Amino acid sequence: MEQRAGREEDRLELALTRSVQGDSIAFAELVREHQGMVFSIAYHFLQDRALAEDLAQEVFLELYQSLDRIQSPAHLTYWLRRVTANRCIDQGRRKLRRRELALEEAPEPTATGHPADPLLLERLQQSLAGLPAKQRMVVILRFQEGLGPAEIAEALEMPVNTVKSTLHRSLEDLRKSLTRKVREVRYAFF
Amino acid sequence: MHFSEDDLRAALKRKDPGEGFTQRVMARVNQADAKNKTSPATEKSRWLWLRRWNLRPAWTFAVVAVLFLSFAWAGYEYSEYRHQKIARENQQRLEQAEEARDQAILALRIARNKLNHVLQHAQLPADAIPSENDKIRRQRL
Repeated sequence: MEQRAGREEDRLELALTRSVQGDSIAFAELVREHQGMVFSIAYHFLQDRALAEDLAQEVFLELYQSLDRIQSPAHLTYWLRRVTANRCIDQGRRKLRRRELALEEAPEPTATGHPADPLLLERLQQSLAGLPAKQRMVVILRFQEGLGPAEIAEALEMPVNTVKSTLHRSLEDLRKSLTRKVREVRYAFF
Repeated sequence: MHFSEDDLRAALKRKDPGEGFTQRVMARVNQADAKNKTSPATEKSRWLWLRRWNLRPAWTFAVVAVLFLSFAWAGYEYSEYRHQKIARENQQRLEQAEEARDQAILALRIARNKLNHVLQHAQLPADAIPSENDKIRRQRL
């Protein structure tokens, strides 16, 4: 298992070195390796596939122009997370009002308490979209990327304690938002 | 409604950007490359530092704050300079006015002395003419 991880690391190291030397095939390998992470962060944050793809492409374009500053595969992952998170927050600020209106207009799915229900997941995603930008990004980095508070703090340039309190507040807000939506649906029925 | 952390993880599981994403990225990279005609390792764009600022609103805020403070300080200094200049000019005007007043007083004193002198000389012959009392005194004698 460790040998496999080591080989993977070596492969990425080689791809990175070749990319810096101008090898576009090696750079394409780096893109393939990290596109899921970058696109998913953008998609979960913006809740818009086209915007997320555009943002992810811009992040990789910026990576291509900054390759000489990347020191290792681990640094590459960290750099991509940080740049994607910051770009998402910037983009989110610009689109905030429009997105909120779109959410208000979105049809409400029916209520259900079953934890494995895909509608609950959809509801969670909708509630997540209603959180403020920083809170949303902290939740995405925590639960999509599985980062710890220290790593999130480093990526978002925030104090660790602030990350912890933001995460706690975000989960509370998500719970409240979900409860409110269920009540609204009940009132609509009765 | 309750949800677990696993529900959140499931809601936020990674998504595939779809087929052709890598090709689209490479097309943009090649397009940018053709535009800039520079290799990634050697690119040291003159404006790269400015683009990096887009990612760091805190830096932008800091620069704006420094510029604002600089302008405020410059404005304050200019205002002080203006006040001092006006005060200096007022002081000069006051000193000139006082000097002019002293000169005028001196001129008036000189004029008064001259007038007194002339008046004294003009009154002497009149004093020399004998009065009515003197005439009577001479007649009695």
